Order: sequence, then structure tokens, then C-alpha cells
Amino acid sequence: MPADPALRPAAEAAAAPALEMRGIGKRFPGVIALEDVDLVLAPGKVHALMGENGAGKSTLIKIMAGVYGKDAGSIRIGGRETELRTPRDALAQGLKVVFQEIALIGEFTVAENIFLEQYPVGRAGSIDWKRIRGEAAALFARIGFDVDPAAKTGDLPISQQQMVEIARALAHEARIVVMDEPTSSLTPSEVALLFAVIRRLTALGIAVVYVSHKLDEVFEIADEVTVLRDGRHISTKPIGAHDHDSLIHDMIGRRIENLFPRSRGHHKGEVVLSVSNLSTDAKLKDVAFEARAGEVLGFFGLMGAGRTELAKAIVGFDPIRTGTIAIGGRPLKPHDTRTGVSLGIGLLSEDRKGEGLMLELPVQQNMSLAALENFSRAGFVEEGRERSAVQSFVDRFRVKTPSLAQPIKNLSGGNQQKVLIARWLMRGLKVIVVDEPTRGIDVGAKSEIFALLDRLAGEGLAVVMMTSEMPELLGLSDRILVMAGGRITAGFERDAATQEKILNAAIG
Amino acid sequence: MPQSVSSLAAAPAGPSLLRRLARRNEIALLLSLLAVIAFFALASDTFLTTRNLTNVLGQAALPLVAGIGVAIVFISGEVDVSIGSLVAAIAIPLITIMNATESFALGVAGALALGLAVGVVNGYLAAYLGINSLIVTLGTLFILRGGVYLYTGQRAIPDDVMLESFFQLGNGRLFGVVPHPAVIAVILLIAFAYFLRHRPFGRQLYAVGGNPEVARLAGYNVRRVKFVAFVISALLATIAGILLASRLGSAVHVAGLGFEFQVVAAVVLGGVSLSGGVGSLAGMALGVLILQFVSNGLGMLNIATEWQLVITGGIIIAAVAFDELKRRRA
Repeated sequence: MPADPALRPAAEAAAAPALEMRGIGKRFPGVIALEDVDLVLAPGKVHALMGENGAGKSTLIKIMAGVYGKDAGSIRIGGRETELRTPRDALAQGLKVVFQEIALIGEFTVAENIFLEQYPVGRAGSIDWKRIRGEAAALFARIGFDVDPAAKTGDLPISQQQMVEIARALAHEARIVVMDEPTSSLTPSEVALLFAVIRRLTALGIAVVYVSHKLDEVFEIADEVTVLRDGRHISTKPIGAHDHDSLIHDMIGRRIENLFPRSRGHHKGEVVLSVSNLSTDAKLKDVAFEARAGEVLGFFGLMGAGRTELAKAIVGFDPIRTGTIAIGGRPLKPHDTRTGVSLGIGLLSEDRKGEGLMLELPVQQNMSLAALENFSRAGFVEEGRERSAVQSFVDRFRVKTPSLAQPIKNLSGGNQQKVLIARWLMRGLKVIVVDEPTRGIDVGAKSEIFALLDRLAGEGLAVVMMTSEMPELLGLSDRILVMAGGRITAGFERDAATQEKILNAAIG
Repeated sequence: MPQSVSSLAAAPAGPSLLRRLARRNEIALLLSLLAVIAFFALASDTFLTTRNLTNVLGQAALPLVAGIGVAIVFISGEVDVSIGSLVAAIAIPLITIMNATESFALGVAGALALGLAVGVVNGYLAAYLGINSLIVTLGTLFILRGGVYLYTGQRAIPDDVMLESFFQLGNGRLFGVVPHPAVIAVILLIAFAYFLRHRPFGRQLYAVGGNPEVARLAGYNVRRVKFVAFVISALLATIAGILLASRLGSAVHVAGLGFEFQVVAAVVLGGVSLSGGVGSLAGMALGVLILQFVSNGLGMLNIATEWQLVITGGIIIAAVAFDELKRRRA
């Protein structure tokens, strides 16, 4: 459903839009990230951009930032048709995106970071440091932001660095400011300050795009809201036309709930993983749960909820502050991955390239990595035994590879994932933790991975699955735990879970 | 009107000026340098003489000049080790052109042309093709040295015309006291320190080395910045090579052997980070001077060069380890 101009008040319709994106399309290999998406921003208004993970919000704002090129559609800024090919184009057009990852140079002073894109220069082209310090201080005073412009940026907490980024947008006289999940690392009082700053921006006639999945914040700050789902434009309405339920409804739509029928019944074995009062310095707060042999335990959470942090903590990869983790009744002590693996817990990382694969090495070495002891005698790996074990998994999981000597980077994402799952099975596990098991995997291969995980549970493993994808969660899990802000906020038996309940718990 | 929220107001607004000064790497280096000088002044009668001190400055001039370029490449997040062979290679066009034309200026132009070409090749391969810069410059280090051996037939090419201006460049002394190379090094240091601090391109070097993704988002041409860093480094090595050729009075095929690691050691000792974005020319210069005074002082105390190497290696590891521990505690 395209935006209906009639829904907007007449006065606004008369003013030229600050930004008008029409029919935007973007494809990545194998995926349509955006299709025919419209976004129209009025000057001086806050426009919320909402959608589930993977709805296309990030792609859209990266197009606005000039990071990605668009494949289709048109962009008008202040009524003039334009192209945003590079980040510099976007800045030159007065469009500033504040990304979630802080884009500041840690070694520079706060003041210098503000003017990173365009140093003010005096006569003879030298940098005017006095003006940089003066203008930065004046800017901070104007937005009520109390930080020393001469402080080293890397020494500041993330929340303050975020404010520096916003101040930077102002220094460049941006007419359009896009904020990507700006409150994900802020405390409530810092959020209040951020909102005060946003109101100052709009009072100056600046159009603000507010990307968030926090409903309360959106209702407080936004004037209009556009919802994306699966790369498509779903609705654009004044915030007053929405209530909590209608917004969630637009975000999740009506989907067929069970895309992945399971092959096994509800047979559950004994508890093989038990976690109690687990906290970490980084994120997790008092997390407790149990997982049983033969079940798929699904963890759902939105961006920043703490899923990946939990996955890394329970396998011994990341340090913990308090709490106990027991695998098969034995505590994970000392808290490291060596102990974890020997007790029988392994992680299939969400970052397949960074933390899973050795890209240049062949399939065989990638698969046998964790199980070399099984094929060793007197400290030497017997390659014949290694090869036959790898071959048997390749056959069993139907890994499509020309040979075991093929560098794994040449395999498709789905086949790479199968190799990584086999890596753990070869070692022999009680609990496999899978984090976003189908990220970057095309639709056909996804169902194969699901079938594989389902079979593992059927064979008596506990599968702990971290996911941000609702269909995956509902299709595969026997039990569902929902996380928000580093805590578990709700738990559902599979039959009692609905998308609405889960999303409500995830929004926290 | 928005209010400063207390949690923000209460957050540390950066350390005081004094604390910031104390944390500066350059201060620690300066104190170390003074300690080294004090130690040798007490240990040797001949160390603290104008003659010796100015000699050390003259010797330090070459690594100082080349060190500016190496530090700039490091700051941009890359590495350049090709300079050891480059200082030898550029002497060939310099001397042969001077011998043929009797013109100092034409010889220098020839040397700069070769230096520029090497910088462009290094920069293109490393910055634009994205080949690891250690590999690229190690490759050019070997190629240039091999080329020098091939061209010279492993013999020095003497300077036949003996131009006074060329001789004075490396051997003369300002007011009869300060060696000309030291004067040139100081001028270049000041100019480039100003450039790094006060010209937008200088800051881009730090930004690109500090976080290339941020720099790209800020609209910088990351590759071009790195490319220029390699060209600057090659041109400064060329200047060092011209000074060296003047001192030697010929194009010597073994000149500058190991020079690249002498310079890299001093640059690292001076607090310029191998991972980019961190360091200053003042630190680099102090690093060069510390190593130069240590080697000179040990020589004065008649300590064998073998031991000088061992001690120098120990100093470098100790300094970087100290720095790492300090960083971890901070």
C-alpha cells in the first residue's frame, strides 16, 4: 500500500518535502532487499522508520547515506532530483546518517571529529584549530551537551560519542538527519537528552528519520511512521493514526506460521544445559534457563537484546561476571572454550566468515578442526581416518562440494553451514548453540539447514537457537524464550506462542 | 530549552592538562633521551663535546629525514621497508647524470624522478591493488637492491666532477658547527609536523589509519590518501639518499643496507603505531635520537658493535612492551 497523501495535513502537503524517495529498489545476489519503497520526509518533522530485523530499514538508510547505490527509483532532495553515489554526495546534499556503530576516530579530540568531513581552513589552506574548538564548544552549548571539546573521543562512553555524532550532523548544516537505533546503548536519562536534541533539530526545520523498534519511543517522538516488511513498503501514517497493536500488526503482517513442519514429536530427555543467574559486564543480566536433550530451544530478541552475547557466554567464549553454567551436570569451569568443548557444548557463530570458517582451507580441514584428537595416534593425525570421517558427513548431510580438498570459500553459504555443523557433530556434543543459523543463506538452503537442526534434536542433542527471524523461531522451536535488554522477558511453550506475544515481550 | 542531564554532566570531561601531558608519549621519550645523554656524559669524557654532539646530529639526519616518510606511511596504516635500497638506487641517476652534465640540479632531478617512480609503484600496488604493503615494499626492497648490483657490477660509481655544491650538501656545516644534513632534517621535520597537524590532508592521514571505514563514510578517498603517503615516503628517502651520496662521494652499491630496519625501529620506538592512526613526528625524531645517542655512546665506551646490536634490540622490545602495558592499564 503506497503512502496516501490525503492522510497528511494540508499545510504539510503544501511545503516541499525535504526528501522524496520513490520506487526505491535494491538487490543483492540472491536477495531482493528493497522493492518499490517510498519515503517522503517533511521538513521539521520526525519520521519513524520501523520494521522487523531484515525488513529493509538498514538497506534504505545506507542508500540515503550514499553507502549503497540504488538499483531502481528516484531521490529528490528539496524538490531537485539527485543521485547519492558516495557518502560525500549525501553530506553535500545536507543528508547526515548517524549509524549505530559509532563513526568517529577514537584517537582524535571531540572537536576534531565534529569537523572531520570538512575542516574549516584559514588563509593559505591551514586548518583553523581555534575556530574548530570555538565552534564545537558553541555547538555543544546550543544543544545542552556537556563535554570537553578537547577530550579524546575514544575515552568517552558510547552514549556521549553518539551525541558527538549528532552534533557533527548539526555542524554540517544537515537538513536531513537519519538516526539508526540511536537509543540502543543509552540510559533513560540520556534518551531524554537525545529527545530534547531531536526537538531542537525539528524546530530548526530539520527533517529527522528515526529508525527504531522501540514502540514507546516512537509514539513519544515521531510525527509520522513508515513501516517496511520484507523489503516492501507497508504503510505510512501519522503517528496518531496508529496504536500499539496496529503498528505491530503492520510490522509482522499475516504470515503462515509453520513453514517448517517438524519430523519429531515432543519427546524430551533430561536437562543437559542449565544456566543460572548469569550476568556479564557487557550485557547480560541474571539470565537463567535449562535446555533438554532432544529439544530445540529458540531464543528471540531484537537487535541488541543480547542473544549473541548469551551464546558466546554459555560456550565459554566470552567472560562472565556471575552465574553458573552446567553441561551434562558438570560446571563449565574454568570458563573457556576448551572446557566447553570437552564438556560437550559448541557454538555455530552468526559470523560465519569471521568466527566459523578458515576460508582458504579445504572442506576437510574446516570440518575436522575440533575433532582432530579422534583421528590422532601419538600426536599425529592419521589422514586416512580423518578423510573417511569427513567423507561420511559430507555424504550424510549432502554437502555439495567437488572434493574434500575444495577451499571452503568456494562453497555456497548453506553448504558452508553444513560443514560447520558437521564440525561439532564429529566432536560429539550434548548441546549445540546456533546463532542466526540461516544468516546469508538463500531460501532453498534454509529449509535444508532447518531439517538438519531438526534431525539433530531428533538424535538427542539439545539445540539452542538464537534467532531474530520469527518464521524460523516459530517453525523450529519446541520452546521459546524472549530476550530484551540482556534479560529473558518471557517464555512460551511452542503451542502457546504467537507473533504478537513474542514481539510484545521483545519490545520490552 | 534542553537541560544537561546529570549523568552526562557528571561524566568525566577529559583529564586535566597536566595529566594529559604526563600521558604524552613524547614526554617519556624526551626524559629517556635526556637520561641517555646524562648517562654517557658521566661515563665518557669525550661524549659531551660540541664535536661529538654535532656529529651525532649529522648521523641522525638521514634516519630523521627517511623516518618522516616511514612514520607517515605507518600513520596511514601501511608499512614501507623499501627505503633501504632506495637510498642506494637513487645515487645512480644522481651521480651518473652529474658526471655526464656537470649539473647538480639535473642530477637531483634524476634522483627525484626515480624516487617518485618507486613511490608511485609502491603506492599503486599497496593502496589501489590492495596488496599487503609489507610484501610490496619488501619486494621493491629486493628488486632495487638487485638492480643496483646489476647496474654497478658491485662497484661504487665515483663522483668524477666533484661539484662544490654537492660536496657541501652532505659535508658542510652551518656556521662551521651544525652539519648541513641536520639543518635539512630539522627544516623538513618542522615543515611536515606542521603539515600533519595543520593541513587537512595531514589529518586525513591519521583518520585513514585510525579507522578506514569512518574515513570512507566521512567522504575521504582512502586509497588516494595511502597512495600519497607512499609517494611522500619515497621522495623523503630520495632526499636521504642524496645526502648519503654526498657524504660518500659516490654511488655505493652496498649503501643503506639495513637502513630500512634502523628507521622502522626508531619510528616504532618513537611511538608511531604499526596499526595506524597513532604517532607524531616529534616522537619519531626522539626515537631516532635515542638510538643514535645510544649507539654513539656505546662506541665511545669501546663496547663492540655486536653488543650495540643486542642492546638496541633490547631497548626496542622493552620500549614497546612498556607502552603496551601502559595502554592496557589505562
